[in-house]
Amino acid sequence: MKHRMTRRQALKTAAALTTLAAVPGLRAAEAPIRIGYAISRTGPFAPGAQITQEPNYILWAEQVNAAGGLKVAGGKRRKIELIGYDDRSEVETMVRTYEKLMGSDKVDLILPPWGTGMNFAVLPLIKKYGYPMLAPTATGRKLLALKNPYFFATLQQPDVMMEALAEFLKARKVTTAAMINVDELFGLEQAGALEKAFKEKGIAIVEKKSYPIGVKDLQPVLSDIMAKKPDAFIALSYPPDTFLITGQSKAIGFNPKAFYAAVGTAFPVYRDKMGAETVEGVMGLGTWNPKANPAARAYFEAHVKRWQKEPDRWASAHCWAGLQITQLAIEKVGLDRKKMRDYIAANEFDTIIGKIKFKDGENISTPGVVSQWQSGEFEVVWPPARATSSALFPKPAWK
Amino acid sequence: MNLWLELVVSGLITGGIYAVVAIGLNLQYGLMRIMNISHGEFLMLGAYLTWLARTVLHADPLAFLPVVALALFVAGLLVYRLCFYRITRTAPTVEVIEARSLLVGFGLMFLVQNAAYLAWGADLRGYSYLTDPVELLGVRFSANRLVVFAFAVGASLALLAVLRWTLLGKAVRAMMQSPTGAQLVGIDTARLHPVVFGAGLALAGVAGGLLSMIYEISPSMGEPYTVTALIVITLGGLGSALGSLLGGFLLGVIEALGMHFTSPSLKMLLSYSVLIAVLLLRPRGLFAR
Repeated sequence: MKHRMTRRQALKTAAALTTLAAVPGLRAAEAPIRIGYAISRTGPFAPGAQITQEPNYILWAEQVNAAGGLKVAGGKRRKIELIGYDDRSEVETMVRTYEKLMGSDKVDLILPPWGTGMNFAVLPLIKKYGYPMLAPTATGRKLLALKNPYFFATLQQPDVMMEALAEFLKARKVTTAAMINVDELFGLEQAGALEKAFKEKGIAIVEKKSYPIGVKDLQPVLSDIMAKKPDAFIALSYPPDTFLITGQSKAIGFNPKAFYAAVGTAFPVYRDKMGAETVEGVMGLGTWNPKANPAARAYFEAHVKRWQKEPDRWASAHCWAGLQITQLAIEKVGLDRKKMRDYIAANEFDTIIGKIKFKDGENISTPGVVSQWQSGEFEVVWPPARATSSALFPKPAWK
Repeated sequence: MNLWLELVVSGLITGGIYAVVAIGLNLQYGLMRIMNISHGEFLMLGAYLTWLARTVLHADPLAFLPVVALALFVAGLLVYRLCFYRITRTAPTVEVIEARSLLVGFGLMFLVQNAAYLAWGADLRGYSYLTDPVELLGVRFSANRLVVFAFAVGASLALLAVLRWTLLGKAVRAMMQSPTGAQLVGIDTARLHPVVFGAGLALAGVAGGLLSMIYEISPSMGEPYTVTALIVITLGGLGSALGSLLGGFLLGVIEALGMHFTSPSLKMLLSYSVLIAVLLLRPRGLFAR
């Protein structure tokens, strides 16, 4: 994989050089900005990484280059050269790759790897080499607690998302809830945050269970929960289990007033695999959809045109926002990484998911959001200020 | 509704999925000692073929399964000729066949998996099929799970019958017990060997096609299924068709009961405890003869 990509890059560069040589006026063009990253193209993390992250990197670089490059502060327009490697979903490979990119290749900038665990592992390196990193798929107070000055998390933190969900449910007079979570850092932190939020809002938890990654059957658990008749059901799940829980709840006819599953609900493939009628009314983690604003619509359409697939309705837009911020910073202060970091840390930015400002690396502007599938679109239904549609509550019966 | 009944039925249905995954590998490893560690990858190929048929050709996934079986069977003959023919010819003992085929299997695993990445990318894929609930013994299941269950039982029993009561089955068993002896009594091992291997891949492909009706698919989906298949055939006894069916059921039921009475998080602990117990008490598997 590595060789294939580098060769492709080389060919592209060669092709670009030939074109440049043919056009006399452009021969003096600046060298490209080299931006490196490692991402999962193969292995268990690949589906997530290839939905939320790498397609956006490539689309962004292509758009910038088509426009003639980035206007670097105090200099000329420079094109972007992406140097991407497959980390094979292995932490060691990922860390070694970043070490090479920053230590020996000395790329101008880096883009983040995929997933909380991967980002966590690369944090010491970005601090050591001083590379700002705006991560769209890293959440958790544990990461922010490291107070790494070069780390910026663009996604909402678990407690922010769970607080929003609890508010949404309370506003609909939900009094009982059942929850299950995947036994992993992500699931545990979300579950902890949700329990706290429910306690504050006076929503009783009638059942709480956890399950391991890779589970193939949750019907016994769902039947137990169904027997307790909770108003709301919340699964703090990963993509495979999100699909599993949806399918099996439908099979046993478990249809609470609110049905929420976490990661993967925002993926278009969730709607396509389960069927748009089936997921009608299912809620989950999301931030946006093409209706949110014209810039989001333009991004959505460009993504579909380039990749023949829709971006997901959560992290993809946060990834794009991170790239927008990177671009704004380069245009403002140039490629001095320390200056870029300071500029990103101190200012507010306009992005496709609205204004973003960071405090100690946390995106404090994007509120917690609850989204819900309605007629094939993942509508934002909470908070009211961001809603693109009103919530279907109670959830309609499974179809 | 009787809770025990519900749990057991639910466990059996999941057990059926485990059994389906194992049938193909049981032919290859159980009967021929070809440790095809890339089993899950061929299962993945079957899943992708079925998915393509559904999304591109709008074919009925169930009706398409024979095509998948045929395609994987032919692929199996080819893979056998290219990779395993020499091994089975030159290896002095079955232990050597096991060891060498394991290495080749690893190579195949990377090759097939990465070919799938090149062809279809890393995205999750899936389609919706037979998801409507069906009631069985007072418990509701999605129809696609029942289809898998029916196939698991049907294919295992058919395999059992073939191995036990037909001349072909006798020949296959003879070939496993003593390749040279089998040749001496006139069994055409040069033809039988690739055919059994191909049948193993065909069954892996069909299993993949069936699973694609239930679960979402991706090029990396295969490895966990290989592990499941190994556990199931070890539990049931190598080469025993009935054993791997019952082994799958046992795992499914124990997990269902365990998840209800303890915690779902202990699922792995439960399944591996069963495996360890079987290995300690009946090292050759529950139904080895």
